[in-house]
Amino acid sequence: MLATAPTIDLQGESTSPGRLARQLWEARELFLILSRKEFHVRYRRASFGILWALALPLLQAAVLALVFSKVAHIRAAPHYAVFVLAGMAPWSYFSMTISAGSTAVVDSTDLSSKVYFPRAVLPLAQLAANLYGYLVTVAIVLLLCPLFHVGLGPAALLLLPASILLLALTAGFCLTASALHVYFRDVRYIVSAALMVWFYVTPVVYPAGDASGKLRLLLELNPMTGILDLFRTATVGGVGPMAVPVLISLAWTLGLLTTATLLHCRYQRVFADLL
Amino acid sequence: MTNAIELAGAGKRFTKYEDTPMILTSALRVRNRTRREQLWAVRGVDLEVAEGESFGIIGRNGSGKSTLMTMMAGITAPTEGSVRVWGRVAPLISVGVGFHRELTGRENIYVNGAILGLSRREITDRLESVIDFAGIEGFIDTPVKFYSSGMYVRLGFSVAVHAQPQVLLVDEVLAVGDLAFQVKCFEKMNELRREGTTIVMVSHHLGAVRRMCGRVLVVDRGIPRFLGEAPEAIAAFHEILSSSTEVLEDHGSGTRFEPGVVAVRSAELLGADGEPTGHVEAGEPVSVRLRAEALTDIEEVVVGITLFAPDGTPVYADSNALEPFQDLGAGTELTCTLSFRAQLPTGSYTAVLRVDRGDLRTNLAQSPTISFFVTGRHTVAGHADLEARIAREEPVRR
Repeated sequence: MLATAPTIDLQGESTSPGRLARQLWEARELFLILSRKEFHVRYRRASFGILWALALPLLQAAVLALVFSKVAHIRAAPHYAVFVLAGMAPWSYFSMTISAGSTAVVDSTDLSSKVYFPRAVLPLAQLAANLYGYLVTVAIVLLLCPLFHVGLGPAALLLLPASILLLALTAGFCLTASALHVYFRDVRYIVSAALMVWFYVTPVVYPAGDASGKLRLLLELNPMTGILDLFRTATVGGVGPMAVPVLISLAWTLGLLTTATLLHCRYQRVFADLL
Repeated sequence: MTNAIELAGAGKRFTKYEDTPMILTSALRVRNRTRREQLWAVRGVDLEVAEGESFGIIGRNGSGKSTLMTMMAGITAPTEGSVRVWGRVAPLISVGVGFHRELTGRENIYVNGAILGLSRREITDRLESVIDFAGIEGFIDTPVKFYSSGMYVRLGFSVAVHAQPQVLLVDEVLAVGDLAFQVKCFEKMNELRREGTTIVMVSHHLGAVRRMCGRVLVVDRGIPRFLGEAPEAIAAFHEILSSSTEVLEDHGSGTRFEPGVVAVRSAELLGADGEPTGHVEAGEPVSVRLRAEALTDIEEVVVGITLFAPDGTPVYADSNALEPFQDLGAGTELTCTLSFRAQLPTGSYTAVLRVDRGDLRTNLAQSPTISFFVTGRHTVAGHADLEARIAREEPVRR
């Protein structure tokens, strides 16, 4: 017996937010399988496999810590290595995820041009695929803290809301960019160019307090600043008042998620026309 | 009886970009948007497919039949009207959807199954029979990039039919794979049909449509032209093919018709003896004679022929594009013959002659359809008789 409600009910190009939410819920199984697929495919051919997922951010953090402390003599933070690593954990998750997530819809053309599922699943699967590497890096930060004589207090619990905010911001960014990318293929290059600059206007290797002038303004508008502040407060501490940067992160997150919802509701049913 | 598919006034319009849209150029182009051409791929389709029905859609390339299919699969939304489908849909728009080259066959079954709406558990339950049907036991843990195209297709089809869809959408996929597997696919589709699965099939293969489908929709240039039982629909399709002004669909898509320059007076098939005929023996030399009149002065004229197989497939097209007829004054009578040997298998064929300008962009006239029957050599099958010689070499004593 067939259900009375049609499984495909198309009239006009847009999808209502409620229906999109329902379709996403129904696609949860697909989301899990696609995330797993993404994760496996990425490291399949490498002999060290998933070790690369954490080796890369760790190596990058080590190089940066070394270069900036020995060469550039940034010594603003008392525990510089932990300071950099605590910044690298959210930053590398963010940058890795958005560079793959922004192009996820177009990159999965052989999937999305031949079968329907809510297209938002594709960028969201990238979010989940990178989660493993992220969690391991966070765990390493926590393990390194006692090693570098950084005492962990109850503030460490801030890592949870910090992670949620990070995920939500990354999701908002990926969903918005992936929808725009269908119509403007330049998005791929804009995102990689932006990431190069973005790294230096994010207080990953230096404390936010060191910035001045125009850099200061960019830092204050940067949604990643508030998130990094939360990570530092949770681990090395010494960040100072962070209510404003966190609120700015929150505002960006909500803004991007709203834009993403509007874009996907309006266009996701006709993405396939341009793939 | 309840409907599985309902289309009401459904139409799909595409925007044809000259190139992929770029931020800069599209920003500069805001003022004259009309430059972006808008095309209706298909329009005004009202259709109801009942639960359990086997339905066919036929039409030439670019007639909009595949667009109809993508709307039924929910891949793209209609620009106007509505599309409704009840039940789990398995689109076989292309087999092996979502197969990832680096993943093994087994892993791909999970991905593909999830795309078709199966839960992990349901996939695990069916794994054995999916692998078994595809006949790839030994390769199930090999990455699919090492699969042959046949194995790829078999696995894709196997997953789709094992998803137990209520609606199976098949777009030309059965043209691939080896003969044994095609037979197996037909059997499986028949089985699904008996079990009450609704099947919608898009195909060029009119024989397959005749065998599989009850009712058939004929679409031409995005417009539904005929809806009825398979034999009548196929006849209607032949009618459209023969009355068409756009014969060379592959070459003709960019051509426009310019009337009042050339008028065709007659076109006929002549047998080996030079007399008009409607019946030809395989391999016999025949010719097609065209008489036409130039109504205005024309610099260069190209005459071409297209030959259609019994199922409507164009089997041969040629022209004198390299050596066009030069400088025809108004009132000149043009008579030309195209000679060839009928290297064809048995069946009724049609031929159409066309007269184009030398730049091949403008069609000036088209002949009425010439029909003829070929009695082929009885060992020959397919679309052409290449007159293979099968010789045994003298055995050499070592």
